[in-house]
Amino acid sequence: MADPSGALVLRTVGLRKHFGGVQAVNGVDLAVPEGDLRAIIGPNGAGKTTLFNLITGDLPHDSGQIFFRGAEVSGLPPQALCRRGLARTFQVTSIFRRLTALENVQTALLTHHRRHLDIFRPARRLYRDEAMILLDRVGLGAQAAKPSGIMSHGDQRRLELALALASEPQLLMLDEPTAGMAPRERHEIMALAAAIAADARLTIVFTEHDMDVVFAVARRISVLHQGGVIAEGTPLEVRGDPEVQRVYLGHRSKTAH
Amino acid sequence: MRWLVALALLLVLPLVLPSFLVVVMTEIAIVALFATAFNLLMGFGGMVSFGHAAYFALGAYAAALLVKQAAWPMPLALATAPFVAAAGALFFGFFIVRLTQTYFAMLSLAFAQIVFTVLFKWKTLTGGDDGILNVWPPPALKSPLAYCYFTFAVAGLAMLALRAIVDSPFGYALRAIRENPRRARFIGVNVRRHQLFAFVLSGFFSGLAGGLFAFFNGSVFPDFAYLNKSFEPLVVVLLGGIQSFFGPLAGAVGFKILETFIARQWPVYWPLFLGSAVVLVVVALPQGFVGLLQRRSWRIRAAR
Repeated sequence: MADPSGALVLRTVGLRKHFGGVQAVNGVDLAVPEGDLRAIIGPNGAGKTTLFNLITGDLPHDSGQIFFRGAEVSGLPPQALCRRGLARTFQVTSIFRRLTALENVQTALLTHHRRHLDIFRPARRLYRDEAMILLDRVGLGAQAAKPSGIMSHGDQRRLELALALASEPQLLMLDEPTAGMAPRERHEIMALAAAIAADARLTIVFTEHDMDVVFAVARRISVLHQGGVIAEGTPLEVRGDPEVQRVYLGHRSKTAH
Repeated sequence: MRWLVALALLLVLPLVLPSFLVVVMTEIAIVALFATAFNLLMGFGGMVSFGHAAYFALGAYAAALLVKQAAWPMPLALATAPFVAAAGALFFGFFIVRLTQTYFAMLSLAFAQIVFTVLFKWKTLTGGDDGILNVWPPPALKSPLAYCYFTFAVAGLAMLALRAIVDSPFGYALRAIRENPRRARFIGVNVRRHQLFAFVLSGFFSGLAGGLFAFFNGSVFPDFAYLNKSFEPLVVVLLGGIQSFFGPLAGAVGFKILETFIARQWPVYWPLFLGSAVVLVVVALPQGFVGLLQRRSWRIRAAR
């Protein structure tokens, strides 16, 4: 089934998922145009991570449809989505801990170039230069030979970003990319992601708890509440939305100050 | 340089050692190959099989049957054995890689028990409990010395091939799956297919070890597929070191030397001794024998 709106990178229609009696994602319609830098915000339990897992094929959805670059991709496994140009990072850092930073990225590049079933060649030199370029891009060039498991938390998050970028995605989905980072570091990594997105002309969808970060980088914001989208617009529009004020922002600023 | 010394030692040792030690060395080479093939799954793929004797036995029986029943020449039978084992690994592995951890181990064990039962019961083909006797290599390879060199050559080449596999793009992705299957999926790896491929490769080289053992032993028995044989590579890998490619080789040397000198002297206490040795190594030396070497060389490097 073809998607009528061709310029959209990602579109979901009536996406639903329940866990037991809890409707975690309750009919989400999302439309993300090419080049967007879209934040998905919402209180804890709003369904952000579940939505991410549905879109990226990590979890099967109950009903609804997912379109990626105009083609329906509902039900495709993660590796198939990766090959079509969808990459992601996780809320809890997900890397190959006992491999070096370089081996991490090399493995991702080898897989992206469909060389990962080759048993006849040594891998050490394959895509090494490309991997170093990616590591330099995320600021880890000097740590290439380090086992990734002993790198600092912030550096591991950078490495995961490099892993996601290795597949030359059209759409990058970042699930709380700044989780567990110091405030200054948070702005750094989001600025980095935004700069990479602009260079590579890729689209980013991210979730984030830090509203400063969200309002600093997001082009548009979708607000999720109890499994549904209650508002969508530019940061300015969303900030002024009375419904959002009521369920999320107002509440947060009261507890934060 | 170190490699040349090792190679020279391997060539000279069988000439100077008494013949019963030549036989032990031959067996070490076979066990080392079996354990290295097993460790492709356990050490590099993070998959612990409790039933790898199935593929060892499939290789051994394939070699024996082809020589005895089909009257194939020995080299051809030996070359075919790993393919039979790989076919078995493909069939069983298809189901086994669908599971993880304990369930993976238990299903692999169940399939090995099935292989054992078939070998045990299918008397007209396998001879049942009596096994298949007089499975000898051609006259040129019949002396312990000749078969020792032959085994060194075949097992050595096979281990080089396994080493190349570990260092290949396939091996990189296999380690990535061991570290984090979910992330592996999201960089585009079809995890199950990759695991199945590793399982088949491991079965292939286990079958080659089984084929070598058939002609070494001169006979094959259903025991080859039994639990004891399945746990052998596990023990060898634990002793030698799971993290290193050459851990299984070191483990095989240690295991066979201990077995030769202790099991023969005090056969009754051998399991007790082996059990204690495994406990000691696992607790005090989690990197195995190889860890001992590496820790020392690390100290030397750090001291410079």
